[in-house]
Amino acid sequence: MENSASAALEPLLSFLTFSLSTLESGFYKLPGSAVVARYVKSSHQNDPGRTILELILIIFAIRTLLQSRTRADRSGKHFIKFSEKEIDELVDEWTPEPLVQPLTEWEQKDLSSVPVIAGPNGPKPKLFSTGKTVTNLASFNFAGLAGNEQVKDRAVDTLRKYGLGSCGPPGFYGTIDVHIDFERDIAEFLGTEAAILYSQGFSTISSVIPAFCKRGDIIVADRSVNFAIQKGIQISRSTVRWYDHNDLKSLEDTLISVEKERKKRKGPLTRRFIITEGIFERDGEMVDLPKLIELKLKYKYRIILDESISFGTMGRTGRGLTELYNVPASQIDMLVGSVANGLCSAGGFCAGSAIVVDHQRINGTSFVFSASMPALLATSGSEAITYLRNNPSVLLTLQDNIRAVRAVLEKTEGITLLGHRASPIIHFCLRTQQQSLSVTPATYDYEAEERILQDIVDDAIANGVLITRAKHLRGQEMIESRPTIRIAVTAALTKKEVEKAAGVVKTSVTRILSKRR
Amino acid sequence: MLSPIPSNQPFPSSFVFKKKEPLQSPTMTTTTSYLHSVHHADTPSVASSPALSLSSSVTAYSEDAILNEDDENNSLAYPRTPPTSEQVFTTVHAEFGHCTNEAYRCISKHDYTRPVPEHIIEGPPYYILLATYMSYVVLYFFGYTRDFFGVIFTSHFTHLLPHNGYAPLKSRFDSFYSRRLRLRIHDCVSQPVAGVPGRSIIVLDRRFIDNDHTLIHTGGKTRSLNISSYNYLGFAQARGGCADAVEESIRRYGISTCGTRLEGGSSELHVTTESLIARFLGMEDALISSMGFATNSTFIPALVRKGSLVISDELNHNSIRLGVRHSGAEVRMFMHNDMSSLESLLREVISQGQPKTHRPWKTILLIVEGLYSMEGTLVNLPRIVELKQKYKFYLYVDEAHSIGALGPHGRGVTDYFNIHPRSIDLLMGTFTKSFGAAGGYIAGSKTIIDALRLRGHSGPYAEAMAPPVLAQIVASMASIMGVAPTSQQINSTPSISQDNSSIMLKESAVGFPATAPANMLPTWMNLPPAFADGSEARMRISRLAFNSRYLHAGLKKLGFITYGHPFSPIVPLLLFNPGKMCTFVRLMRAWSPPIVVVIASYPATSSMTSRARFCTSAAHTKEDIDTVLRACDEVGGIMDLKHGSGERWGIDEVCERAVELVHSHFS
Repeated sequence: MENSASAALEPLLSFLTFSLSTLESGFYKLPGSAVVARYVKSSHQNDPGRTILELILIIFAIRTLLQSRTRADRSGKHFIKFSEKEIDELVDEWTPEPLVQPLTEWEQKDLSSVPVIAGPNGPKPKLFSTGKTVTNLASFNFAGLAGNEQVKDRAVDTLRKYGLGSCGPPGFYGTIDVHIDFERDIAEFLGTEAAILYSQGFSTISSVIPAFCKRGDIIVADRSVNFAIQKGIQISRSTVRWYDHNDLKSLEDTLISVEKERKKRKGPLTRRFIITEGIFERDGEMVDLPKLIELKLKYKYRIILDESISFGTMGRTGRGLTELYNVPASQIDMLVGSVANGLCSAGGFCAGSAIVVDHQRINGTSFVFSASMPALLATSGSEAITYLRNNPSVLLTLQDNIRAVRAVLEKTEGITLLGHRASPIIHFCLRTQQQSLSVTPATYDYEAEERILQDIVDDAIANGVLITRAKHLRGQEMIESRPTIRIAVTAALTKKEVEKAAGVVKTSVTRILSKRR
Repeated sequence: MLSPIPSNQPFPSSFVFKKKEPLQSPTMTTTTSYLHSVHHADTPSVASSPALSLSSSVTAYSEDAILNEDDENNSLAYPRTPPTSEQVFTTVHAEFGHCTNEAYRCISKHDYTRPVPEHIIEGPPYYILLATYMSYVVLYFFGYTRDFFGVIFTSHFTHLLPHNGYAPLKSRFDSFYSRRLRLRIHDCVSQPVAGVPGRSIIVLDRRFIDNDHTLIHTGGKTRSLNISSYNYLGFAQARGGCADAVEESIRRYGISTCGTRLEGGSSELHVTTESLIARFLGMEDALISSMGFATNSTFIPALVRKGSLVISDELNHNSIRLGVRHSGAEVRMFMHNDMSSLESLLREVISQGQPKTHRPWKTILLIVEGLYSMEGTLVNLPRIVELKQKYKFYLYVDEAHSIGALGPHGRGVTDYFNIHPRSIDLLMGTFTKSFGAAGGYIAGSKTIIDALRLRGHSGPYAEAMAPPVLAQIVASMASIMGVAPTSQQINSTPSISQDNSSIMLKESAVGFPATAPANMLPTWMNLPPAFADGSEARMRISRLAFNSRYLHAGLKKLGFITYGHPFSPIVPLLLFNPGKMCTFVRLMRAWSPPIVVVIASYPATSSMTSRARFCTSAAHTKEDIDTVLRACDEVGGIMDLKHGSGERWGIDEVCERAVELVHSHFS
């Protein structure tokens, strides 16, 4: 029995020996193979355990290489094996929900009440719905640049030389000389080493933050920062600590506690950033810049400052908070501003040192992967800067108008004015016992307040003044803030006109609120 | 230094090959000589015509567009054969090339008798692969060695080391790629330009100083043949119908609408443009966003939520990935354009349900691109629509590159495959490419689009699109559609969301592809006749299709390895070795006329498949493609790039039999 078995195996064994010897001789024919063989032999002799370890390593490497590139959970413990038939049944059974939840009745109303302007926007636009001319306290036309003939001429000249679109991202022949000029203009205007231009204001800071803040870095941010900053922070995957809204005492406490934690953990030195806004988009509060810089220097943080509202509106010539407080802009590591808001064109920028800017040219996702800004929008921005430099009186007019609006609204019953008194955007909410902006848990009826405010807006528009509620993405924002009406003051109107318009808003507020009572 | 070529500018072209003389027979150095030659060409045929063709031809505009530059590259500024008086061109040759030969046209359309071509990846010979690996090894080895000693002995690294209690802004490791690899090809990327990114483009010359670390502008400018911009239909023009419309819009509307769409920045131009786009695409409704990148990154989060799954092609654009990350939805990827990988993934995710809980997914959204910007591959839409029937997922097609560029009517992949657009849930696209504008759109059913208007990030927070950009979109899009006078009443709903029973595309009433009713255009917009009747755009679309096919087929016949669909205007030419990238760019730039090309490597592609990428345009003439092919042929020979399989032709044969080559590819 044994004999017959070995006899049956005989040809197989001889074949194995033969193939092994051919393999061996073939192996030795390879150049350098003797060295490898000698190494394996000697290492096996010295330490057999090591051979096994190396073998396992090689197998592991091969397995990793063969694994599919797309992540599959097939081996995971939660994976359930199904037969093909069962899968077919499951596929048939599955019914997806609708892609989006249809709009609620309130959302429908919200959407249909959005004002549409016929013709050019400016201080006195015509509404598409009624054909009536209204006084505009809703659009961002702070310095009154909308419809500026000088800017238009420059834009047409640019159009005739460059066409409209840039037809490519900055890396692929999309950097036009006018972009370079505009970047230099911004840098010179602010007094920084360099600046970089993004093609949308909103996407600027949400790209700047993840370009610098990486996993493991520390971000200390204001609790009430705007949505773009929130998104940037979310993408950065850094460790985030929040401090109370515009409360620099709370900021200092947070900085101290972060430092304590680090010392306790004996962690390595990581990048640390303070992220806040110059003038908060949400409520018009203004940050105390000198104090902020003092803290930053003391605790060795870098600042990412969003000046989307304050650039082009604050300071003598619109250089923003740095000019207002007479702080050199170079103290701010990353100064982000909006060309769309401040200069009535489109896009955004980040100004800072040459290293900061160059880093973004490779790592700023919405810079690298997006088409660059149309040339004529860049030159319009340049022209707007020239205008601001040459006409410092516009911003004085703006401040006069702000004071006029606030004076009227302060006397209005039933509402609370928010924000800094110099802020070009003025928010007001309905007056209740609770007056702070960020309240958790909510002690007010969000939707009911929104409806009242919308009624006020509609009433004001019917009476010839265009205002708007501050729109937020409810449920997507980190914190729910109180519903507010936002007034954007402009220098393009005279003080009389602004006062009159504010008076209309006041009447609307009183009328709607008295109806409610 | 990896490259054997010194990187100092100007590149000494005689170093490798002799600079070619421009091919045109009469050397036209001045306008006078050009005019003279026009006259000369005209005289025998129309001797009695006193008014020369130039009076009616926009070439005459060239005085400001061209003449104030150096006249060195006249082959780009003026056509080789001057036009006769019967030929009236409405474009500046340097922006949009003159081409009258009707044979150089082609229709971009899927042939259903043959299968959709698979994405074939042709590999290089092993020695190329080995050399590529070795290049990286050498780069890393020297890079790290220099870093190691540099930190100790030099002061170049202070900004990469902790100092004064601050951690460095970028770590040595993170910046290794840009310092040690990218810096070497610094002069070949991000080249600044001036002027219109049309058929030709003016590049600003740069020069290395400071031991090859810093680039400075020399102040010189070179007009070069532009085979790099996403100017598919050639609408990047400073003259012509679109530019006139844009100028008028600036005069009427100014530069900005001063605000976000939901907060007082909505203009009636936005509303009418959105309904025009919906009609163009054959969808119920559409919205626009002021930035193409942000269209994906700010609206996808409003589409998917927790409990939703996004299935994404592995080569999807960064903006899509960012949008999905913002949304917080689960994401799974399938292999690039591999339909069997997609199907097995679908079967797995539907049967398994959500991770851990195994609850069924709320929704599954498949996001694919119509035309992939680095590969030139076309999505296998027929198969995906089939799968969609069976697996009930929602479909989002990013047509950033394909819209306008593909299909017999320029309506993108759906048009190319003749699939009804409404069998797709969401069509997204950008205006940067084919329309020569900026920004993007999303089109779909009214319910979805209204929800996106209100819940997408752009609505309340991002600035609205600028009026000049809108005018460019309307003018170029209307010219593709053709304008038809209609008796329909323009809708007068005041809302930014269309309640447009009159404009909405009714499938029964309006055929697809639809024309643009005259009352959907702003009353002040006067399009030239060739724009209004759609003939101009038809010419552009068919020229683009011809140019794309010709370049693909030509490069193949010359023996290069290329990727992508034959109709794709994106033509990647594989270089593999990272060192060849800069050499290729420098040699192409030294050609006469200079040719600017885009190179791409890690992180845009895998680091092993470094490539040069051409983008054809309707603005190119057949001679321009010949020029590119000739340059590639010679440069490719020098650089050892011809490793493709298949039959090879000589360069002269390729140029002569171009028409045959373009059409034979069908068989």
